[in-house]
Amino acid sequence: MAEACTACGACVQACPMTRFAPGVPEADPMQVAGGMRALLQGGEASAVSLGWIGACTRSAACNPACPEQLDVALMMRFASMRARGALGEAPGIAVKTDSGWSARVKGFARLGLTDQEQAEWL
Amino acid sequence: MAVTHHPLPAERAVFWYGCNLLRHGDVLRLTARFLEAVGVDAAPRGGPSHCCGSPTEHNARITEGMGRRTVAAFNATGREKVITWCPSCHMNMADLMVPETPAQFEAAHVTEVLWQRRAALQKLLVRPVQARVLLHRHAGFQPRVAVNDLVSNLLHLIPGLELVAEDEALPGHMCSALAGVPGALAAAHEANLAAMARHGADTLCTIFHSCHREAVALERGRAIRVMNWVHLLASAAGWEFRDEYKHLRNAEDPRAALDEAALGRIGADVFTQLMEPELRRKPVV
Repeated sequence: MAEACTACGACVQACPMTRFAPGVPEADPMQVAGGMRALLQGGEASAVSLGWIGACTRSAACNPACPEQLDVALMMRFASMRARGALGEAPGIAVKTDSGWSARVKGFARLGLTDQEQAEWL
Repeated sequence: MAVTHHPLPAERAVFWYGCNLLRHGDVLRLTARFLEAVGVDAAPRGGPSHCCGSPTEHNARITEGMGRRTVAAFNATGREKVITWCPSCHMNMADLMVPETPAQFEAAHVTEVLWQRRAALQKLLVRPVQARVLLHRHAGFQPRVAVNDLVSNLLHLIPGLELVAEDEALPGHMCSALAGVPGALAAAHEANLAAMARHGADTLCTIFHSCHREAVALERGRAIRVMNWVHLLASAAGWEFRDEYKHLRNAEDPRAALDEAALGRIGADVFTQLMEPELRRKPVV
């Protein structure tokens, strides 16, 4: 998909999250999109592009905006994973880990489910 | 449970409720009961042992391993369908999991299944629910599963319930995504509150668990109520439930609001260190 992306910036212009990504509303949409494409191709993205990728909440407004009919939302997803170091690179976006997540949801399960439900459903 | 005539044949499925719906045991149980009542033998499965890999996306190797384990577990059940609840799980199944580990089942979202079996569902919804409802809608999952339309349709089956004209959907696929972006969750809540005031709505209806988790605190100091769509269906069916998460989240002192038996089941350390900080978190608006 990255090969087919022309970095036209239509996805950036359609994105409802740009107002929450510092620097993105003032930036050239083509350069912001180009950073996302570069990341998917193994390159580096600018700080502004990383800010846009980090603000992605999977609204999917980018997909109908893409003139190449690419699944930009999925590209953003992969770019986000890559920017967080999923393939072993140094992360460009801070990774928020929650070591207590599993124990926390199991605690809530003990609050809301019977012993039998936990035994059968978990 | 009463035997109901089902126009569609019974089917065997897994109800994959995800991980974080465990915060809302009432919603999980009610959804499973509705599935059973409309003719689906749906075995609930979820929690960290059936994870889609979302919490570990900063490590592709672990994400892939978790997805492979979960698909293999569903394949081993021999059930022909996996019914999803969580939009992250649903999309991960299609985008990341099944491309790596071929599935021997089809996936469908719970709203699709209930709407498909609405003839049986509607027979259960006999009690009027007097509510003027704004549906809390996100844009992100709608292109995959038309969940905003499906929940709206399901709510229209409830006698007495009035769904107000709806504004543009919120960004994101659910509120947990917005919570990670400074300012975004507050903006979404403010948009919902403004829409409720504009339309005279008294009830905000959440679709997904993380939205419910984030929205219940909006009740504090406001003459509104926040309910999940499953709660509204259950009210119409006359099924009793208690939204324990909302009760604790909106309690002055969540620890004091928790009975000793529940604290004993959870474990004092787990409650104090892992659950209480979330329940005491200051609302964003």
